[in-house]
Amino acid sequence: MDISVRKRSQVQVIHLRGQLRLGQAVDELRQTIEESLGNGDTRFAINLAEVPMVDSSGIGLLVRFLASTKQRGGNIKLVQPSKFAVQTLRLVGVLNLFEVFDDDDAAVQSFA
Amino acid sequence: MLADPSARPEDHELSEVLNLRMPAESASIAAIADAISGALVRLKVPEEKQLEIGLAVQEALANAVVHGCNNDPSKEIRCRLQCDPQGRIVIVVTDPGPGFSPGLLSNPKHGENVYADHGRGVYLIRQLMDEVHFENGGNEIRMWKY
Repeated sequence: MDISVRKRSQVQVIHLRGQLRLGQAVDELRQTIEESLGNGDTRFAINLAEVPMVDSSGIGLLVRFLASTKQRGGNIKLVQPSKFAVQTLRLVGVLNLFEVFDDDDAAVQSFA
Repeated sequence: MLADPSARPEDHELSEVLNLRMPAESASIAAIADAISGALVRLKVPEEKQLEIGLAVQEALANAVVHGCNNDPSKEIRCRLQCDPQGRIVIVVTDPGPGFSPGLLSNPKHGENVYADHGRGVYLIRQLMDEVHFENGGNEIRMWKY
């Protein structure tokens, strides 16, 4: 999985490319978010446009960090999740836990 | 009398497409899942079904490695992909673990379970596949997609 991070208006915008699944992909995203949390960042926009599949391990990670960031006054918002990712998140009943945006700009602005 | 096209294929109708054995480690999950995806493309399975089968396989393999083998690469997981002449797909994932009772799993959509960071794999498999059976005490999962 490719992960790119850039900070925009106090929001960590994370772009993922590849399948978010158990193993290297989930481990790398966990490390990325934990490092940001360690640096005091609590606002995240995770772009899933190029993530065709999210498995239960990836879902668990997103839900866990959603709770962590909210406890710190922040949030994790999803951007452009693929059709199958949306279907999967809905199937397990967590889609409505997240705010979902059509593009990075809208997600970043929503934190203002 | 014509066969019911929705009926589960009999074992003698099935052709084996893949039969893989690999160490019980996370790298094997990705390798097997990718091999299954490639086979589904070659079998001309529609893309939406490919994604659904692919995710179900990913979850079954993860359960086999993590719960069936405790991430111990000295143990081995096995995955078979079979199909019948009508294009129906059967996937079987086996691990050497003690098995489990799938009936004891809680619904991940109930109450506080929604906020849990685990416990969604088997539920997803059941939602994504048309028929799912646990055999040999739970250490073999047999999944059909019609």
